[in-house]
Amino acid sequence: MQRRGHRPRTYAALGALLTALLALAAVIGATATRSAAAPAAADSTAIACGNRVSIGFAAPVTGPAGPLGQQMARWGKFAETRWNRAHKLDIRLVQGDTQLPDTAQAVRVAETLASNQSVLAVVGPAGSQEVEVSTAPFRRGGVANISGTATATSLTVSGKRRGYFFRTVPNDDQQSARAAAFIRRNLRASRIVVIDAQNSYSTGLADGVQRLLRAAGASVQRESVNEATITDFSSLIARIPNDTQIVYTPWQLAAKAQQFGEQLRASGRNATLFGGDGLYSPDDLKLPGTHVTAFPVALGNRTIRAYQRGPGGGSSDLFGLPSYVAVDVAARAVEKACANGQATRAEVRRFIARTNIPKAQSLLGFPIRFQQTVKRPLGPGDMRTPAQYIVYRINANGQFVKVG
Amino acid sequence: MGSQSDRPLPPEPVEPDGPRVGVDEWVASADRLQDRPAGVAGALRRAGEVVTPPIQLAIFAGLAATVPFWLGTGDLFTYGIFVLLYVLLGLGLNTIVGFAGLLDLGYVAFFGFGAYMYAILSSDHYGIHWPAIVTVPLVVVTTASLGLLLGIPSRRLLGDYLAIVTLFFGQAFVVFVNATNPVVAGKGLTGGPNGIADIDPLSFFGLEATTRTQQYYVLLVSAVLILTGLHFVNQSRTGRALRSLREDPLAAGAIGIPVNRLKLMAFAIGAGIAGFTGCIFGTLLTAVTAGNFDIPILITIYAVVILGGFGSLSGVVLGALVITVSFQFLAPENPQNNARVLFYLLIVLVIVLLLRSWWRVALVLAATVALGVAVQAAVEAVAPSWAGGPVVEGGRLGDLIDSWVLIPEGHQDFGNVAYVALVVAVLAVTQLRPSRRIFALPAVAYLAAVVWETSFVLQPAVARWILFGALLVVLMNVRPQGLLGTPRVEIV
Amino acid sequence: MQLPLFSVLDTVRELGWSGAVELFRNGLALGSLYALIALGYTMVYGILKLLNFAHGDVYMVGAFIGFGVLNAFGGSPSPSIAILPLIVLMFVVAMLGSGVLGVVIERFAYRPLRSSPRLTLLITALGVSFFLQNSMLLLFGAQFRSYQSFQLGSDNPAAFEPGPLVEPVFTIADVNFQRIQLAVFATSIALMVALTLLVAKTTLGKAMRATAFDHEAAAMMGIDVNRVIAATFFIGSVLAGAAGVMFGLMFSQINHFMGFYAGLKGFTAAVVGGIGSIPGAMLGGLLVGLVESYAQGYLGGQWSDIAVFGILIFVLLVRPTGLLGARAIQKV
Repeated sequence: MQRRGHRPRTYAALGALLTALLALAAVIGATATRSAAAPAAADSTAIACGNRVSIGFAAPVTGPAGPLGQQMARWGKFAETRWNRAHKLDIRLVQGDTQLPDTAQAVRVAETLASNQSVLAVVGPAGSQEVEVSTAPFRRGGVANISGTATATSLTVSGKRRGYFFRTVPNDDQQSARAAAFIRRNLRASRIVVIDAQNSYSTGLADGVQRLLRAAGASVQRESVNEATITDFSSLIARIPNDTQIVYTPWQLAAKAQQFGEQLRASGRNATLFGGDGLYSPDDLKLPGTHVTAFPVALGNRTIRAYQRGPGGGSSDLFGLPSYVAVDVAARAVEKACANGQATRAEVRRFIARTNIPKAQSLLGFPIRFQQTVKRPLGPGDMRTPAQYIVYRINANGQFVKVG
Repeated sequence: MGSQSDRPLPPEPVEPDGPRVGVDEWVASADRLQDRPAGVAGALRRAGEVVTPPIQLAIFAGLAATVPFWLGTGDLFTYGIFVLLYVLLGLGLNTIVGFAGLLDLGYVAFFGFGAYMYAILSSDHYGIHWPAIVTVPLVVVTTASLGLLLGIPSRRLLGDYLAIVTLFFGQAFVVFVNATNPVVAGKGLTGGPNGIADIDPLSFFGLEATTRTQQYYVLLVSAVLILTGLHFVNQSRTGRALRSLREDPLAAGAIGIPVNRLKLMAFAIGAGIAGFTGCIFGTLLTAVTAGNFDIPILITIYAVVILGGFGSLSGVVLGALVITVSFQFLAPENPQNNARVLFYLLIVLVIVLLLRSWWRVALVLAATVALGVAVQAAVEAVAPSWAGGPVVEGGRLGDLIDSWVLIPEGHQDFGNVAYVALVVAVLAVTQLRPSRRIFALPAVAYLAAVVWETSFVLQPAVARWILFGALLVVLMNVRPQGLLGTPRVEIV
Repeated sequence: MQLPLFSVLDTVRELGWSGAVELFRNGLALGSLYALIALGYTMVYGILKLLNFAHGDVYMVGAFIGFGVLNAFGGSPSPSIAILPLIVLMFVVAMLGSGVLGVVIERFAYRPLRSSPRLTLLITALGVSFFLQNSMLLLFGAQFRSYQSFQLGSDNPAAFEPGPLVEPVFTIADVNFQRIQLAVFATSIALMVALTLLVAKTTLGKAMRATAFDHEAAAMMGIDVNRVIAATFFIGSVLAGAAGVMFGLMFSQINHFMGFYAGLKGFTAAVVGGIGSIPGAMLGGLLVGLVESYAQGYLGGQWSDIAVFGILIFVLLVRPTGLLGARAIQKV
């Protein structure tokens, strides 16, 4: 009884299959030629600027990296408000939630922003892996992206994103070189423990510092901990020898570093903490004696104070600061491209590459110009010297004081 | 005898309400007793009986094939490719959880394993660039074997214990590729936190799938093929055996169904599908990291299968569509008006579902608007600063809303207080008797609008998750079998 | 970054006795927290056969309530009232608050589904968990809040002097046993003993055991099943709230996401110990804490998680119903 009934169903299913295959064959043939034409079109399509232009803003607003992404979003919004107040051509940030660490969302955001004809440039994405996966969509759309937080050196030094990717934050090689030099020469340490946080940012820095210090003859022990999931560091601390001088912790969550430092002290070990710019957060990290490398932001700066009073709600959220700068860079380039009432993405890219913000107007403490060629440790898209990290130390009052 | 057969039989006594001799009343009134829901649901069900699965598949394939023609690249990726990815993943999970009833909380690790294995074999990582025609079958077979391996403990572990072992497995995978990253042949095997980049695109016989449209069609053909295959499995003896295994493993074993073998097979098939999807996924992103295969993805896949209904293939497709589209609609990339409209429609929908009579719905909506206007006017007269706030991303709809919804200016905590009040109010309303409920609805609806404008609209990404959580709870209370599943009764 | 086997033995030797004692101390403290959370899971499971995924978020809410109380009195590090009464008050308020939350969740999310299949309840629990987590995120933002327990009550917080919580009480093999660690361990044990007494000796406990054995029979015996279930949720959530405050006092940093991993570990502990068994939850919690601590200490961050999973899977394979779990008799 059932076999008889199966045949019509079988035929119907096979028919559906055949339809699908035919459709596939037909359309692949058709699209093969069409897709080649698309990127050129997106690149040089002129859009009328009018009174308001759109700039994409990709940040991990939700998910495990939420705290960091929200800092970036607040600074970005702050940049938008301030720019609109002072300039005739208003900018509008088109937000994209990249939900780090799921890079599929970053691709989705990149595709959406690239397809959005009114978006002339994109600020973000935040993570280095996200930049990696967004490269192709942004390239196809011809749109430049400026990241305030993606620090992996290979992103620029490989030369693959020349003219498309820029960043308003010095890269990992620059930062690890500065940290290693300071640890070796100023602090004269020879027994160091390096702890990475099992994410892209910290592993890059940790690898760099470990390599440089070992080459200089110091004894370096490498450890690893997942800063996102672990709050009890006491067992990790048990692995740290009592005579360690420096513990290098290039983490992103300053609150966890504070916790780690407190537990370290409580265990009777007197090692000094040394962190990266992710720990440059006076609200969360207050351990006296801790060193961090960061860019020379003047905390008393009017803009930063205005942020603190306004969207920051008392915090300075320094992690998001370079995103403000990135929005500024994008807005300036868009304004220049819109000088004749119309702008194309290609034009905006060129203006971004030629950015020249003097020190007085730059929140980062140094003038902002972009590198065009590979010159280790810089690559095309990095900020040109004197973009540099300096070393801060937390004094007894919990303030970050420049020491190198 | 002959004389008796000549005589005509007396006419049947007409007794419409009494029992008839020689007639089984129950069978005779089968039509009347059959569950025939009226209205839209009934029409849909009757339509479902006519439109058989093969025709459904043909319609789906046909419609889906036309999608790249009317969606731009960005939307194609978001709504087309993502939907199909979740359809594939949902089909695999459906095999394990829906067909065989095994709670697998580590499913996403198969997905990741497939992606990473493909990435290792076809990328710049080790310089191996095996063609897809070799790599993909190899990955599928290996992942299926891994599924078999994971299925072995399922013989001894029941229910929740299996869940936790599979959860460990899923977490162990993420930790392994992210942190452990053992050095193999001079390089970290999985690339650590940076993952593996520069993955080769899929290429079959010289045709490369590099554009979104081409990748979309690859996914579509795969989905159609797998749907067809699973449909045949479902219709076969194996499918029936799997269903009985799901309903009651003990009884199934008692009547001779090879329970353990079936469990292993379910795991293998589900894992194989996930592995295959992983290969394609790697080529879509051109890079894979541990974060692509963690708990949030698992939750989304489960949401797809739950919404669509366990055990239902068309349910998975529908679930993937609904989940992806609704998540995207509430995403911050779209202008806020999209999300706003959707939210207000949701409020109206809830009122409609609660009241079930159109004139009452109209009454409540009118009352809500009236209440809003009244409150707005009253507050403006008394304390203007409490009503003067701007509508975020308004447009024309925004102006309309501004005159109706109370948005205080500068009172930051108002949104939070309103939210807590809304939660309390909603919980209270569920406790009221239906006849009393209608009086409270306008106030609650207005409060919901206020909460949206003062709180949710400022953090749409967070609001999305809150609404999702609330939706799950409501869904399980109202229709636990999902949209297209069959209701189950568990005998404990 | 390899870890060949003999280097593990090297590490064990290097860390020596003091290392072993230090790891033991850490494992006990952490394990007590896990045990408290596991108790909530196991009690609810015993009665309803439900894995309450929202339990971890109740724990998180407890930690936040404790933080709120701390702030209401001037906040760390120098609150306006003495430390000990303040901590007691934090505990009491957080426990009550979490308990009420647990009862509310049961009443509105789980009671209507009492006779539904278990998978439905599981999904509802998941929905409640998302709802709670993201509500906290909406209301309080994503940044970490700190109990600043290192300096809490310290005489000279500005000079970063440690407060009474982290003061060592005694020392074994060069390892300081801090006051807070001992307090956490002692409080957990006390709470667990209280719970065991409650379940074994009181009428309510008898009613709970009866309901866990068979709902319908218990109802026929005149036990108000609804009240018993509500009481179970209340007690489980009270313990979670206490664990939340303890977490804050030991580890300082809290945020909306902390319930997720803690819940996971607590759930693991409950299952490994034998779900439905109260002594099993305690044992499971301590076991998970110790395994985690020693794995982290001897293997380092790269392999420790995998080792923990491996050991726990092994335990479950050897004893499929958990260490102290009852042999599941399947009724046909």
